[in-house]
Formats: sequence, structure tokens, C-alpha cells
Amino acid sequence: MSIPDYMQCAEDHQSVLVVVQPVGIVPEDQFFRIYKRISSVCQQSIRSSQRLLYIRYRHHYPPENNEWGDFQTHRKVVGLIAITTCASAKEWPQTSERFHGQKEVFGSTLYDSRLLVFGLQGEIAEQHRTDVAFYPDCDSCPDLERRVEDFVESIFIVLESKRLDRTTDKSGDKIPLLCVPFEKKDFVGLDTDSRHYKKRCQGRMRKHVGDLCLQAGMLQDALVHYHMAVELLRSVNDFLWLGAALEGLCSASVIFHYPGGTAGKRAARKPSISQAADSGKRHRPGAQELLIDPGALTTNGINADTSSEIGRAKNCLSPEDIIEKYKEAISYYGKYKNAGVIELEACVKAVRVLAIQKRAMEASEFLQNAVYINLGQLSEEEKIQRYSVLSELYDLIGFHRKSAFFKRVAAMQCVAPTIPEPGWRACYKLLLETLPGYCLSLDPKDFSKGTHHGWAAVQMRLLHELVYASRRMGNPGLSVRHLSFLLQTMLDFLSDQEKKEVTQSLENYTSKCPGGMEVITLPDGLKFPPVPFTKLPIVRFVKLLNLPVSLRPHKVKGLLGENMSSKSPFIYSPIILHNRGDERCKKIDEDTCWLILFSCSLPAALALPAESGLYPVTLVGVPRTVGSITVNGYHTSVFGVNSDCLLEGLPGVKTGGCMVEVVPSLPRLLLSTSLPRSPHVAASEDISSSVALQLFNGETQTLTVTLDNIGTETLETLELSSKIISTKEKLLGDILNWDIQEAQSHLPLLPGCSLSLTVNIRVKLDFSGQENLLPDLSDDGISVTGLPISSPLRQVLKPRPESKALSADPGKNEHTHFKTLEAVMTFKYSGGGGHVEGFYRELCLGIHVDVEPSVFFTRVSTLPATSMRQCHLLLDVFNSTEHELTINAKNNQDLLLYASECQRMAIQVDKFEFESVCVQPEQSQQQWETERQQAQGSLINSTLSIRWAIISFTIGEASVEGVLNQLVLDHLQLAPLQWDVLVNGKQCDCDIVTDCRVGDPVSLEVKLTNHSKKEVGPLALTLVAFQDYQNGIQNHDLQDAVTFIGSNTFYIDKVNPTFSSTCTGALLFLYTGDFYLSIKFQDDSTRRDLPPAFFGLPTVHIRALESPIENGA
Amino acid sequence: MAVCVAVIAKENYPLYIRSVPTQNELKFHYTVHTSLDVVEEKVSAVGKALADQRELYLGLLYPTEDYKVYGYVTNSKVKFVIVVDSSNTSLRDNEIRSMFRKLHNSFTDVMCNPFYNPGDAIQSRAFDSVVSGMMVQAC
Repeated sequence: MSIPDYMQCAEDHQSVLVVVQPVGIVPEDQFFRIYKRISSVCQQSIRSSQRLLYIRYRHHYPPENNEWGDFQTHRKVVGLIAITTCASAKEWPQTSERFHGQKEVFGSTLYDSRLLVFGLQGEIAEQHRTDVAFYPDCDSCPDLERRVEDFVESIFIVLESKRLDRTTDKSGDKIPLLCVPFEKKDFVGLDTDSRHYKKRCQGRMRKHVGDLCLQAGMLQDALVHYHMAVELLRSVNDFLWLGAALEGLCSASVIFHYPGGTAGKRAARKPSISQAADSGKRHRPGAQELLIDPGALTTNGINADTSSEIGRAKNCLSPEDIIEKYKEAISYYGKYKNAGVIELEACVKAVRVLAIQKRAMEASEFLQNAVYINLGQLSEEEKIQRYSVLSELYDLIGFHRKSAFFKRVAAMQCVAPTIPEPGWRACYKLLLETLPGYCLSLDPKDFSKGTHHGWAAVQMRLLHELVYASRRMGNPGLSVRHLSFLLQTMLDFLSDQEKKEVTQSLENYTSKCPGGMEVITLPDGLKFPPVPFTKLPIVRFVKLLNLPVSLRPHKVKGLLGENMSSKSPFIYSPIILHNRGDERCKKIDEDTCWLILFSCSLPAALALPAESGLYPVTLVGVPRTVGSITVNGYHTSVFGVNSDCLLEGLPGVKTGGCMVEVVPSLPRLLLSTSLPRSPHVAASEDISSSVALQLFNGETQTLTVTLDNIGTETLETLELSSKIISTKEKLLGDILNWDIQEAQSHLPLLPGCSLSLTVNIRVKLDFSGQENLLPDLSDDGISVTGLPISSPLRQVLKPRPESKALSADPGKNEHTHFKTLEAVMTFKYSGGGGHVEGFYRELCLGIHVDVEPSVFFTRVSTLPATSMRQCHLLLDVFNSTEHELTINAKNNQDLLLYASECQRMAIQVDKFEFESVCVQPEQSQQQWETERQQAQGSLINSTLSIRWAIISFTIGEASVEGVLNQLVLDHLQLAPLQWDVLVNGKQCDCDIVTDCRVGDPVSLEVKLTNHSKKEVGPLALTLVAFQDYQNGIQNHDLQDAVTFIGSNTFYIDKVNPTFSSTCTGALLFLYTGDFYLSIKFQDDSTRRDLPPAFFGLPTVHIRALESPIENGA
Repeated sequence: MAVCVAVIAKENYPLYIRSVPTQNELKFHYTVHTSLDVVEEKVSAVGKALADQRELYLGLLYPTEDYKVYGYVTNSKVKFVIVVDSSNTSLRDNEIRSMFRKLHNSFTDVMCNPFYNPGDAIQSRAFDSVVSGMMVQAC
């Protein structure tokens, strides 16, 4: 006996063995269908005795094992059911022949046999035979089970009779010696009459009877017989049979203790309550006596007797004893090399019992022993079976690792090099079963949390084996999946060399079968989830990049509601749109290609060098439709494996996804300028392009901006605005000027067309020089800062004899340093679908101007002119350039200035009526003041229109706006009170000499017109006449020469705004001569609240002449 | 003396495993891994008994043809496994015990290191040298 039945368990000792075999040609599926129905009759209660008979069916049983039937009767084939198909009556004799042949095989041990014939009909099928049953086909055999039951019953009858036969024939007759096949030759020539021999015969027979009793359902009797057999055999040292007797004892005890069976789910017994009850009932009175006289057993032991408990307890082994006896039995078996199978099976049975008892440690000892049992030369298949069973048993006792180990060994055995046809499929299947034992799941999700803890070396080995097995199996997809899994999860444990090898083989595999993201399902339903390579490469940070500013669409804020309402139930709010919590929300234009998108169909081909370190990768995609896109992962192809990696699954990345809102397409403009592009990066990052230029302060430059529509949409609207980036410099006037009307006249602009726009860049920074650094010309004593001095003939221009050279002092060169001005021109444009939705784009042109100082006004002062309505503005002009320049103002002649030269220029200007310029705004006093000053400044400036020209190349303008102080302004202001002095009805002003005759009364009229907004007065005026000798001496003693007719004092009452008041007087010149009349105010108190300039009354110059001769005498 | 020394975490993954370099390392991985079944069984069996008087030394876990596997469990359920050659019959139980004690002391030192993160693989050189000492004696 060489083939162990690893499925055996203790309760199999109780069953009878029936072999079911096909005879002739029977389709396999048909056979197993019948076999299944037959084997459903596995326990049968016998009507006559209320005992239970258990049947074990086998469709294959080696006849050599049958030879051990005497040793343990459950190994004996007692029944044969042959199944055959027979199409016609002609075949019948042959079939019948075969059936008999089959019977011959097990002939010596068979109690009964049956033949089931399918398909045969007609005459032969009509005949009634007990051992043959005819059925038309395998589906119409309703009484099959019934037949089997009959058959079992007949077996029972034979069994029972045998049992009775054996138990009773102790009388006198020589008991035959039962022996196992290998013993037979040992007993040749032995003295059969010796006491020792007889005892041996007796013991063996007792044991045999015990087996029969157990099979026949008489548990207690069996126990008694086993006990006696043990006693007998122990005394004669018949160890093999002693072991069998002990095992029998154990089996019976196990059956008693564990009526549910020890085989686990595989052969779950039917509910055993009835059986337990039966076993009680079965027990006959006087069980104790049985120990003494087992021979007195009778068959009709049905009387229930509760007192039998004592005897049962005595005969039956306790759970602990069962193990002890098993150990003993196995040790006895171990003495015989030929009983290896028996020993192995006993071990297996004991392990099953121990598993039920949950005594894993002892069970493992039994298993350890079983491992070492040498069964001689095993075939590969048997080895596989053996390892699988060991694995199963280890699993049974909870030793999952050990189980996995043996399963793996079994798997390796499947493909051992000695096997001509390696069973890679089986190997693979077994390997998969080992996964739980090694705590390895093939779902990469289980590995995503933190670092992997496990038996990496062992797990890696297993994965390698899986890869290899699946490849040899002819499923490259599977091996790619396993290899990817290995690479992904075990990356930290692979050495660099191993990494190289793994990746290389992965590439080899994927060249035949690219790895994908689909779940691989095995035929048996096992699923392998995809393995995305989130560690190859490792993505540390994902960020959605916004479009460049120039392409970023903006929402028109003015178009609220009407456009949004159709899309969203919420009222549009720019805050919500731009800033949705933590989500990065970017709007992207439909057909623009600068955006981060991963799901685009054109994959970014990127080769990351090995061990590259952090490497920024920008992916660009183009959305095809309007809507919103959520970027929640990326797709890679590494070593031929395509993986979709979700961002939320990445360990180092916190972003769960990015939202991209796609708006309808907008036109795109390309901006180019006539000036070269600037290397400067403007202060703001929003600038798409910028130009730089260098200008003298006051210079104007023309910039031509060309806009090309390079998009696919028609440009419909264009708006232009500019902004000066905050600068410390004081800027006078706008830096940029353009005419948008001209450009807008070209709209709509079709794709491919362009339009140009002219922009004037004019820089006018403060022209005032810092006083302390510039040459001061005020020391010549001619500047006027206070009240007007009546020096009408003061010459305007006083050229300096020598100019102060500044270049000598380097410290004073600071003012020649460039000043920087930056401005941004913003082009807002829109068109196409995006325009309808209310989106626009912005294009920003940065303009960077380095301003080189041209001229400075180092000092400004005024000098009253002869006319009260005019005055002289004195400007100290400093040329800070390295060139000669000319400067002129208001058509004056040019003033030539050499480099770093300072000269004074005087400009005669009409006084200004500022009151009309000033608006009364509701601002703070200070603001109003500055604004007023600015307005006045610009007015003055425009009147002056000072221009400079660097002779060789450029011209520019200069502005005095920044240099005017309040005092100067006051002087430049035309008084709101207009004083007109009329002599003889003729307007009289400074330079005009009025002639009159001596002796004639000269009428003098002083008229005050109030142009201010307040009422003025009352005022008192006094006329004083004097003579100026032009040498600084004035003669006021003129009582003899001039007589006032009437009062020389005028009184003007209140004058309301826009009204005027006139007072008249007269005087009489008594002598000829040049006289001056100055009009003075008597009362200073009224003047206090008004500026002195208001009271600038002209001095009247009257020349008294002789009366004409013709009129004289 | 020892051919393989292993430290296994409470969660049954290896913190440290070292075997004599002359032999197949993977084999020892398998041996130690499967021995954990026995360790678990023994610990759970002991756990039912007096928990405080528990003997840390588990004794022989299982013998294989070539090796004997011994086990030791600390109170924090960290397991030590020592594999010795079966041929080395001179080795007594007491010597094995003292080896485990030494191992335990060294492991305690490792745990006392504030820079050691419990649960990480042991990379201490001091521990390494203690283990080396146990393995060298064999030769």
C-alpha cells in the first residue's frame, strides 16, 4: 500500500467502502452526475436495528489498498456499483462481461454489487434482476437513490452477519491469523500451535471484530473489542496490530466525542442528534460486563439503559487520552517501514482531531512528524498532493504562515524540473493561495498608507514567482500586472541592481503586452486591480498653472446677471468664481493652448532621466468644449505600463483635484510695437510685453502699437486704458496719449488682420531743481519776491557775465541721474462666443521710460511789468544735459544754453484770471489748494509754452508747473478788482503819458470794477502828486504846481460782485512838467483780508504842457 | 552559535533579520516567518495562563532537519527568534536563554535611543555587533 488517502479522518473507520466505477464508455459528466446522486446516500439507518450505516464512496480505489482490508476494515471495498451505458441489446453481453471482470478486481472482499445500465431498452431491460438496474437515460432514473439504499441495506446484512459470525466463532475452532500483505511471508513456518501465536490470532481477530462493530454502528461494542485487542496484542508485542487497535480505539472515541465529525466542511456529517441519541439507545444493559465477556454480545442490543453511562465513560477515551493513544499508535506504526501510509494517515487523522480540540501546538508536532514520514519514491503528483494537504492541515490549526510555506512548496513542485510537462497553471493557482499567508494582497490600495511593513524578502520572492508562473502560463498581461505591483509596492526594498532588473524585465514583457488600467479577472473570478505607478515617477506637488495674463479671460463685471443667470441658479459673484475654497479654479479659453490639462489626447512625451531629482513638468492641454473640467489625476506610461494615477491617492500630494472652467473662445491678439522690446521686466507680472525707451525730460516720442488677430475669432471690441505704476516722481500731465477712435474704426477685425495704434509718450517730470544743489542766481538783487516796486523801466533780461560751472563738483551730478517712469497700457478686447458670454481678454504693454533730465528751473520769481495787467516771470534755467540747447518761450527769441550752464530768462506775461479756473470742489482745504495750484500751474504753463531744443537732434518742452510757489502765483494773478484810471476820459496806464494843458482842469476818474465773488469796500483813496527826477529823488512838495479841484480823497462805498463804482475828481496843473499821480489807500484795515495785488493801481503819468499859443493870452 | 537572529515587531513584520552570510538568506526568512505561527500559538496559550508570571523565553519553537528555532517574546510583544544549527548539540538551553537576554538588553538600548522611531527597521551598529558576537561564536 503506497498511496495515502490524505482526506481520511477518524470517523471514516465507521464507514463501509463502496466503489462506484464506470464500465465501458461512460461520458465523464454523466458519470459524475450519477456518482453525485449515489453519494448522497451516505448514511443509512437500518430499519431492522435502528442503527446507522455510513458509506464512503470512491470512484477510484487502488486494489492494493484493498489488500489492507483485513487490517482496517474501512479500507476494504465491500460494495461495487458499476455504471454503464448500453445503446443496444447487442452490446449487453459484452457489458455484462465487463461488469463481472470489474467484480473480479475486488472480488475477494465484495459483499455485494450493482450494475446500473443506462440507455438500454426493450427485452433485456424488462427482465427483473436484483443486481442490475436499467434506466432509459441518466436523467430519468427517479428511483436511483432508492436502489442505492436497497443496495446499502444488503451490504449491511452481509456486514452484520459477518460480525456475528466473527464474534461467535470463538468456540474451539482455530482462529485464523489475519495479516497485512507484507507480513504474509514472515509467518511461513511459524508454530501455529504456540500460545503466543494463538494470542496473536485472538488479538488480531478482536481488533477485526471491533472494526466490524464500529462499521455496523455498535460503538460501545467496538470500544470493548478494541480494549480487549489492545490487551491481547500488547502482551505478544504485535506492534503493528497494537497500533491499529489503539487507532481503532481512538477512532471510536472520536466518533463518540465529536459526532459532528473531524473532517471539517468537506464532509460535514448530517445532524448528529439522532445519532447521539441512537448511540445511547444502542447501548445495551450490562456494558460493564462486556469488558469481561465480549463474546456474549447479542445483536438485538436496542434496550435503552441510562445506567450504562458508567461503562461508556470507562470504555471511551477522554479527549486527552485520544491524543496519547494516537501518539502511541503512530509510534508503533513507525516501527514498520511498510506501514508508512498507515502512519501518515493516522497523523492526518490525529491532526484533524487536534484541530477540533484547538490544540495547535500538539497538532503541529504531529504534522512535523508527518513531514518526515518517508513513503519511498513518490511521484511528483503525490508530492504535490502531500504538500497541499500539509498546507491545508496547517491552515486548519491556524498556522497560516506554515500553510503558505507548504502551499508554495507544492506550487514549486508543480513545475519541478523533473516534470516533463510543468503545470504552470496549477502552480500559479497555488501561489495565489499563499498570498494571505504572507500578508500580501494584490490591491495596491492596501499599500498606499504609509510605509510598507512586512516580510519584504519573502513577499518579493513570491511576487517574482507569480510573475514567472503567469508568464509561463501564457498570460503576459498577468505577469505585467504582477511585475508592476512588485515594482510599485516593493520599490523601497529593491536594491538598485534589482530595480534595474525588474524594470528591464518589465520592459521586455510590456513590449509584447502593454500594461493598462483595466481590472484583470481570472476565469475563477479572482480580480486583480490595476496598479498605477504612483512612485515611478514620484509626484511631489501638483499645481494648476494659470494661463499667461495676456490670454486669461476675464469676466465683464458690468454684464452681471443677464449672462450668468442662464447657466447657474446663483447670482454671479466674482468672489465665488475666482476663489472656491481651496480648489484652484482657473478659467481657460476653449481654443487656447496654454493650460494644464492631463486628460488630453495628445500625451506629453517626456523622458525623465533616471534618478533625476525633482523635475518640474508642465503639461499643456486644449479643451474641446465649454464647461468645467476637473483634473483629478494624471496618466503616465512607464516601462510600457500605462497608469492613471489619481491625485487623491498620492501620499505626498495634498491636492485632491483641480477645477478648470472652460469659457467660450475669445480672439487672440498679438501685440508688437515700433520700439524694441524691453529687457526690463516690469514691476508687475501681468505684463505680457514691454518696451523701454530713454527720453529727455519734456521730450515726446511716438510709439506705434500693432495688434494682430492671430486667433480664430473676430475681434469685436477693443478698449484701451493706461496706468502709471506708482512712482515717487512728480509727473506733470499724462504720459500716454492716443486716439482710440481711429483704432476702433477698424473693428470688427477678422482673424489674420491687424490694426495699428499710435501712442504718444510724453514725459514731463518736475523741472524744478533742488535749490541747494543748483546755482543760485538770486544774489544779484534783482529778484522780486515781495511787493511790486515801481521801476517800470527795469530791463527784462540781465545776462550773467559768467555762468557757474557745475561739472567740477561730482557731488552735484546727482540730479543728472535718470529717473524711471513705468506705465502700463491695457488693451481689453473681446469677440466671438466669449464676448457673448461676457468675457474679455487683457493685453498689457509695459512702458519703461528712463527720463534724462533736460533743463531745470532753479529759481522762479516775478517782476512787475509796467502795466498792472502784465508782469515778468523770471526763470533761472539750468541746462543739465551734455548738449547745447536753446530754450524759448512764447515766441521769445531763443536762449542758448551750454552744457551745465545756468541763465535767467524773463518772460513777459499777461496776468491770469485764476478765479475762473478754480472750481469750488467739496474737498478738504488742503486738497483743494493743491488742485487749485495745479490747475493754475497748467494754465500758466500752457500760456508760457516753454520749449527747448537740443540743437542736433531733439526738441522738447519744459513746464514750470512744479516750480511755481504761492507767492509767485499771487503775483501772476490778475487782481479781481479792476481799477481803471481815466484822465480826461482817456484810459491811463503805466506807460502811457497823458498830455494836458497847464491851466486846464484835468478830470480824473477812478473806476473800480469788482470781478471777485465777494463784495469789497468801503475804500478811501487819496491822490498824491509827485515828480520823479529819475535819480531816485521824488519831489512831493508840489502844492504850488498842482491844485486839486475839489477833494483829493475819494470814497468808494461797498461794491458788490460784478458791479462797479466810479468816483471823479479834477486837478489843475499850474506849471508845465512831468507829474505823477499815485493813488494811495488811506485805510489799511480794509486791505488786510485781500491780497495786495488786488490794489495795484496804476501810477498816472501826466505831462502838463504849455497852452498852445493860439489859445494863449 | 546562532546562524540567524531576527527581531520581529509586535505586528509581526521584521525589524531586524540577519543570518550567516554563507547561507541562503531567503531560506532563513522563510524559517523565521513560519516560526511566527508557533510563537503566536505559544503566546496565546500562555496569555490564558498567568499573564504577569509569563516566561519570556518560549523555548524551542520547532526543529527542522538542519536547524533548531528558538523564540522569545518581550512584554511588549516584540519577538526574538534565534536559529541554531541542529548539529550543534553542545548548546544548552541556558546558553540560548542568555543569548536572548543579551539580545533583549541590546534591543532595549536601541529603543532608548531617542532618534529611533519604534516600528522602523533597526540599524543600530551596537545592536549589530551584539548579534555578530552571537553568530561569530559558532565558528
